[in-house]
Amino acid sequence: MRKSAWIALGAGSAAIVALAVIERPSGAQQPAAPPSVVLAGSDSAGFMGPRQPVYFRHDIHAGQYQITCQYCHYSVAIDAEPGIPSMQTCMGCHLIVGGSDSANQLQIDLVRKSWNEKKPIEWVRVHSLARHVHFPHSQHIKGMGPNACATCHGDVTRMPQVYKVNNINNMGWCINCHLARGVNRDCTACHY
Amino acid sequence: MSDEREPSSEVSRRRFLTVLGTTSAGAAVLSGCSTEKVEKLIPYLVQSEDQVPGIPTWYASTCTECSAGCGVHVRVREGRPVKLEGNPDNPINKGALCARGQAGLQGLFNPGRVRAPMVKQGGSWKEISWDDAIAMLAQKVGAAGGKLAVISGAGRGSYSSFLGDWAAAAGGRVVRYQPFDLEPVRAANARVFGRDEIPAYDFGAARYIVSFGAEFLETFGSSTEYQLGYAESHGFTQGREPAKHVYFAPRASLTGLNADEWHAVVPGSETSLALAMAGVLLQQRGGSVSGMPSVSVDEAAKATGVSAETITRLAKEFAAAGPSLAVAGGIGSQTAGATELCAAVNLLNFAAGNVGQTVRFGADLDHGDGFGALEGLSRSMAAGEVELLLVQDANPVYTAPRSTKFGEALAKVPFKVSTGLYFDETAAACDLLLPSHHALERWDDLNPRSGHWGLMQPVLTPVFNTMAPGDILLKTAQKAGGSLAKFSAATWEAQLKSTWQARFPGGDAMWRAALARGGMYQEALVAQVKVASAAVAPAAPALEGTGEFTLLPYASSLYFDGRGANRPWLAENPDPVTKITWQSWVELSPDAAARINVREGEILKVTSPHGSVEAAAYIYPGLRSDVIAMPLGLGHTEFGEFAKGRGVNYLDLLGPVAGPFIPYVSVKVQVERTDGYRKVAKTEGNTRQLGRGIAEAMPLAHAAKGMTVEQSAKAAGHAAHEINTPRELEALQGWREGQVGRKDGEGRRLGNYVGEHPMWGMAVDLSRCTGCSACVTACYAENNIAWVGEEQVMRGREMSWMRIERYWEGGTDGEPVEARFVPMMCQHCDNAPCEPVCPVYAAYHTPDGLNGQVYNRCVGTRYCANNCPYKVRYFNWLAYNQKAFPEPLNLQLNPDVTVRARGVMEKCTFCVQRIRGAQHVARLEDRPLKDGDVVTACQQACPSRAITFGDMHNPDSAVLKVKQDPRGYHILEEINVRPAVTYLAKVLHSEPVAHAAAGGEHN
Repeated sequence: MRKSAWIALGAGSAAIVALAVIERPSGAQQPAAPPSVVLAGSDSAGFMGPRQPVYFRHDIHAGQYQITCQYCHYSVAIDAEPGIPSMQTCMGCHLIVGGSDSANQLQIDLVRKSWNEKKPIEWVRVHSLARHVHFPHSQHIKGMGPNACATCHGDVTRMPQVYKVNNINNMGWCINCHLARGVNRDCTACHY
Repeated sequence: MSDEREPSSEVSRRRFLTVLGTTSAGAAVLSGCSTEKVEKLIPYLVQSEDQVPGIPTWYASTCTECSAGCGVHVRVREGRPVKLEGNPDNPINKGALCARGQAGLQGLFNPGRVRAPMVKQGGSWKEISWDDAIAMLAQKVGAAGGKLAVISGAGRGSYSSFLGDWAAAAGGRVVRYQPFDLEPVRAANARVFGRDEIPAYDFGAARYIVSFGAEFLETFGSSTEYQLGYAESHGFTQGREPAKHVYFAPRASLTGLNADEWHAVVPGSETSLALAMAGVLLQQRGGSVSGMPSVSVDEAAKATGVSAETITRLAKEFAAAGPSLAVAGGIGSQTAGATELCAAVNLLNFAAGNVGQTVRFGADLDHGDGFGALEGLSRSMAAGEVELLLVQDANPVYTAPRSTKFGEALAKVPFKVSTGLYFDETAAACDLLLPSHHALERWDDLNPRSGHWGLMQPVLTPVFNTMAPGDILLKTAQKAGGSLAKFSAATWEAQLKSTWQARFPGGDAMWRAALARGGMYQEALVAQVKVASAAVAPAAPALEGTGEFTLLPYASSLYFDGRGANRPWLAENPDPVTKITWQSWVELSPDAAARINVREGEILKVTSPHGSVEAAAYIYPGLRSDVIAMPLGLGHTEFGEFAKGRGVNYLDLLGPVAGPFIPYVSVKVQVERTDGYRKVAKTEGNTRQLGRGIAEAMPLAHAAKGMTVEQSAKAAGHAAHEINTPRELEALQGWREGQVGRKDGEGRRLGNYVGEHPMWGMAVDLSRCTGCSACVTACYAENNIAWVGEEQVMRGREMSWMRIERYWEGGTDGEPVEARFVPMMCQHCDNAPCEPVCPVYAAYHTPDGLNGQVYNRCVGTRYCANNCPYKVRYFNWLAYNQKAFPEPLNLQLNPDVTVRARGVMEKCTFCVQRIRGAQHVARLEDRPLKDGDVVTACQQACPSRAITFGDMHNPDSAVLKVKQDPRGYHILEEINVRPAVTYLAKVLHSEPVAHAAAGGEHN
């Protein structure tokens, strides 16, 4: 049983490598099922990263308008979890701000609709750590400053659609940084 | 077996390896790619201020698992309660919480709960809407025309008084019934002192404790409170004589095993003993109690089987100590004459001057109406005088012995409604189920003693389609109208709040403060009492039947009256005395077992005049040889998947009840061997220490002189067990010194280990530990430990990171048996044998002195467990995590701790998630970690306050102080593994039995 599992594992990875070479995907995560909302005008399918139910543009919010990350992801500095902003946070602005062009208006209407119907938007998760890893966001913000987000998440101010820049599920990604900075590399810092 | 193998949907070790393999193989091309399935992030619509994902919210509430009314703090993560802890503000439990209280969460998330209102139609259950259900009940209330009765197990509080008013307005009556209601205690108090109440007992102030079969560390009254006090008075503190504890009962319960002296008296003879002791005491001190029957020491000796010298000695010791405390009224000594016993003990306390000191009237602890009231109602039901019966939070079909024919009486009632949480035996016999909210889902309060009001508040949205019992009554009243129309409050919450604001001054500020503290607590005034009647009948009551053995059913400290049977945490937690899990058993003394030629596991048929049951034999040295004992609480015919059909209900052996309470010890039984055999699912290994010095003890005189375990053994003239050979000592050189200030050690200059780190350590005081096993359940709850079930326990595969080992000392050749309890968890050895043998570095040492176990590295070679001398590493042989948390039990899982999959080794981590959590908080607050910032789950729960945890590098830490106690020792110190857990030797009022028989017990 064990042996066959290892063989299967080897064969599987070989197949995936082969597939990868042939298809050359863009490096984007592809969701299992296409999102139910079809984007008009500014179809985001061509961008990297999974398509979201609402075409939320970090490049406009964080880039063009320079809204700081913690305006929305408010708990990142106090807590292990960064916090996905509540619909109320969106509506704080979008009660007034309706969008500059019809494509944007269409997306903002989706947000308002979800607010009015009391059905939160179900975002597709981009960064997902394995369950056996505990990553306290607050400690990293504390140590590296409020703009440290880009270290792992990339420069979202230039991303029309968020994608995974760094393979955060590869432990080497973490360790290299911890080595370079001379900080804790104890296993139980993250694994418990 | 194959269905227990892991499905591929969850992240398991193998799945993890697959992911790891593909990512590394394809890394060059597939940069940033993940093979994980798509996850959704669903935000809040409006985030409540007190809910931040990742940060726990704590709510104060009140435990409803028994009538004691302990306060709890509920840890809520992302809207789900994940852990119950004691509320330190509550004067009853002062922050501690017993195993049953901890398991309250498994009551909340129990799959056996009734999930929606249901009506019985043609023998099957049909789900209906709440509106229809309320309408149906309202119609029945109207039609019953006053022939309405309610059986309620709810504790005393605003709800129970509302229920009383409601039933009165409907023309009906309420019987508040809880099993183990201490009816004899109340009846005796009413007779002797003219007060029909349960007093508060102060075990902490008592200097000498005599218990006549009252299991005050288990199921008698407010046991967590008593245990806190008992550990204070009976535990050893340098410079103070600890209280002595004497236990008289046919069976040594857990309370008896903690006693300094246990005397196995003839069942029912305790009354004469108490009177004789009172006589000696009065003789000693002078004075008299008029009307008290005089029983001579010789008469008592003849009745009890305890020698006259012993009785005189104990009575004199009792008289010399002050204040002292005598208690009676436990289930294991509840004969038909239990009221007489309690009256005699009242006189003993009165004669000793304890009444008003350690026995305080005026507190008026919560109690029901007693079994007599239920029996009266049952007769009315059988006579057809009840048209509509409402049963709430009570399961009389199970808890009343079958021969009382409660079930038959119930069947005579035309319409029965249950508002209970679970589909239990009583609910199954009802016609309409209106499931209530759990205590953690509703607004409510409890008044467990006078002046003390505990509040409850909803801590989550209800798990199922249930309703608060107060709302059920209000809505029914408003629907039914008529005399009930006066109950017009919009909701039960509003009514409760206005009741509180009428009860206490301070308006909203008072309400908010009470919610934060968990209630309003005032000390009741101590009422002065005098003896109204000293009449006691000392004769032991006659037992029914002609069998060879007296039947002694006792209350299980985990299942209680049976309500714990549907909680896997309690079923898997070994019984503290016998260490048996999941099953029912019959206890016999070794003599009796030899007499009828029976061995452990052989099925015995026990026959009383009223019925017979079959269960496996367990041979227990703490029992008279003319008695067989059996734990109550199992043998359910309903009550969810974990309880149904498991074990047997020994109440079936009891006869009809004539008096005001169930005389549990009232029949003689015949015991026969059958051909059957069933392996006992127990976790005890070798019951003897075999000279290994695991559970050390020393006499009080030595402890008072500040001797170490070694010095004590030497002073007693026994060879201490050899710690190390000279050669080993040479190798050990410098260890002790290095352990305290290991600053210049080689390791400190290496990579990760550079700089100052804490050094985590634990100390366990065995003079305080009673073996109650609250820590075990707390550990299960905190660390997502999977229960494995009876069959796996039989194979020795239980996963309890924390276990209580119980060793017998003596008990052979007529000498009394002594139990030693040792909480055993990973010792976090500095020189850990498990670490070097791990081929993948999953077991390793952290810079802060923990013995780390990295689950995602572990490949399951099990070398570490083989090399662990303490046997504290547990292997996931099967996918226990797939089976242990069926919905909705999975909602309880602690998000801070990884759920381990099949093939992974796991063990105690010193609650590393709490350590890291506290470190993160301290760092955010720019301060160093303080002593006491990290409290492990076991330490938090312990009602004996036996566990201390902290940083050994901090010279001011509490743990370092405890570790420096001369009684401190390390288990298996001679193998040089340098454990981080120090045990403080138990202190005995007599010579330790083990040393007296040192070396001679290798059998």
